[in-house]
Amino acid sequence: MLAEYLPVLVFLSVGFAMAILMLLLGSLLSPRRPGEAKDSPFECGFEAFGDARMKFDVRYYLVAILFIIFDLEIAFLFPWAVVLDKIGLFGLIAMGIFLGILIIGFIYEWKKGALEWE
Amino acid sequence: MTFELFIFYVFSAVTLFSAVGVVTARNPVYAALFLILAFFTSAATWVLLEAEFLGVVLVLVYVGAVMVLFLFVIMMLDINIDTLKEGFTRYMPIGILVAVAVAAEMILVMKSKTFDRPIPEAAPLDSSNTEAIGEILYTEYVYPFEIAAVILVVAIIAAIALTLRRREGVKKQDQGAQIRTRKEDRLRIVKMKTEAKQGER
Amino acid sequence: MDTLTTFLNSFLPEGLATLIVILLKIIAILLPLILAVAYTTFAERKVIGYMQARMGPNRVGPKGWLQPIADTVKLMFKEIITPTNSSKVVFFIAPMLALAPALAVWSVIPFWDGGVLANVNAGLLLILAINSLDVFGIILAGWASNSKYAILSSLRVGAQVVSYEIAMGFALVGVLMVSGSLNLTEIVRAQSGGLFGWNVWPLFGLFVVFFISGVAETNRAPFDVAEGESEIVAGFHVEYSGMAFALFFLAEYASMILISTLTALLFFGGWLSPFGTAMDDIPVLGFLMGDGFHWLLLKAMFFLFCYLWFRATFPRYRYDQIMRLGWKILIPVTLVWIFGEGIAIALGWQPWL
Repeated sequence: MLAEYLPVLVFLSVGFAMAILMLLLGSLLSPRRPGEAKDSPFECGFEAFGDARMKFDVRYYLVAILFIIFDLEIAFLFPWAVVLDKIGLFGLIAMGIFLGILIIGFIYEWKKGALEWE
Repeated sequence: MTFELFIFYVFSAVTLFSAVGVVTARNPVYAALFLILAFFTSAATWVLLEAEFLGVVLVLVYVGAVMVLFLFVIMMLDINIDTLKEGFTRYMPIGILVAVAVAAEMILVMKSKTFDRPIPEAAPLDSSNTEAIGEILYTEYVYPFEIAAVILVVAIIAAIALTLRRREGVKKQDQGAQIRTRKEDRLRIVKMKTEAKQGER
Repeated sequence: MDTLTTFLNSFLPEGLATLIVILLKIIAILLPLILAVAYTTFAERKVIGYMQARMGPNRVGPKGWLQPIADTVKLMFKEIITPTNSSKVVFFIAPMLALAPALAVWSVIPFWDGGVLANVNAGLLLILAINSLDVFGIILAGWASNSKYAILSSLRVGAQVVSYEIAMGFALVGVLMVSGSLNLTEIVRAQSGGLFGWNVWPLFGLFVVFFISGVAETNRAPFDVAEGESEIVAGFHVEYSGMAFALFFLAEYASMILISTLTALLFFGGWLSPFGTAMDDIPVLGFLMGDGFHWLLLKAMFFLFCYLWFRATFPRYRYDQIMRLGWKILIPVTLVWIFGEGIAIALGWQPWL
């Protein structure tokens, strides 16, 4: 099994190596003439004002938190779907209850308006 | 030294290095990046232990989901890095105390009788441990499994209760109503006489 | 391949020979992939051009066929600008983090029966996991640029990609329920038996959900609010130029091709021929009409064409509409489908077994 994961690792390293190589090649071949206006952050021709890193709507964090929960749900569903024919009706009902409980949470989320964007 | 052992040492070294990096990095974004690296290499270590399902899920859940949230919070909360580092030396003794306590606990656990049993035989090579987990999780351990669902629902409710704020005076569009609109609701075709031409030459 | 391994083993240490063979295979995947990316950009401009009654690029080379090469050379000689207020290190790590996972996913994709670099058991899970790493490149790029447009875009993309990943994950669960394996080769094999053995028929709803979320995951039109040029100029890569921009570009198109290939593999029988084994005995026609890589290529190209078609057809979605579609339509659809599939399996209905 381990031998099967080696190519994934090598491929990932090759991907990074290729990215670094391309950046190096680009910086070697291209000119380098920095200028104040050229290097300033793009803002439709205005002088950039203030730092771009500002506070944002909390809703984005809410989406990220809900994503973690649903991602865990998917992580639970994957092994279940694979062994479906081995665990029989009992396993099916077990997952039915599991999903049922989580759908209650989903409905709560929906009714509370956590999925609305303003 | 076999190749497998070599890989193990490389990954462990990177895990330790990045874990130290998480604590010492000045900029919280760098710390988060080190944490991603630490999660990734520990996932690789799990795969080395032939626990492929757990390893991949570690990447999926921790790197793919939890770290996105961390980055969102770190990047967008407008943290002032200088004030963050101010208390570092002041809290150092407490930090060291906690570190020593955790290390002592870990050593005690590792030395305890629970782990003092023969190493189980490795599973046969072609068996998929996703299936192995599935076969017992939904039958033998079904009760903890359902409890996990309840905990997740509690997490959903807590997250909404903590973060959801209604803002006053927000104008919103109801997309459902927008899509359901028919031509007949908005458009009225009126029959009317053509007007006489003006100023015939 | 085995003969090559034994040949290399005869004079190299064992580990090195394996490594060289793996590297050769990776190059055999990467080179066609990069070529495909280059010509997808060309096809995109041509197809959209003709859909809008224009010619598309036709100056460089015969009928414009050298256009992608000219583009690459141009990008290579462009200055890589580093904005003054940016975090320099993260600014260059971001495109690497975008590209490397987008390429590494291809290690578990089977191209024909047995034609796969890493035949891992948890293949589909691995794809989902590596795919979820793509979002870091975008978020970090937005943050590192320290530009308002970039940071707005990276927030939008973060929330969007993450939302559609859930719908995609649920759709994949439906596929797993039918095929009973996480291994992609096994999933395709389970669809054998001609046109009507494919997963699309029993899983049509999930196929639609999967492809829509695939389009949204790759930030393509009509879900391309990440780079909505009318609002936030070019989004997270406004500040990137030259090769640094090329890396994002390559990653985006590689992911597009990946989603198309995955759709073909998971729902349309991958390399399996729609005629099954009916024509295998006829000499030349049997080879063409039998199972093989050309079928996968054909199917993947069709879905890639759909990407371009969507871009030419649909106006861009508004951001709140995107979030509504992901959370309130696609996720409920997949949940209902999974419940229905579970009941069908419990009752023992044929097409779902």
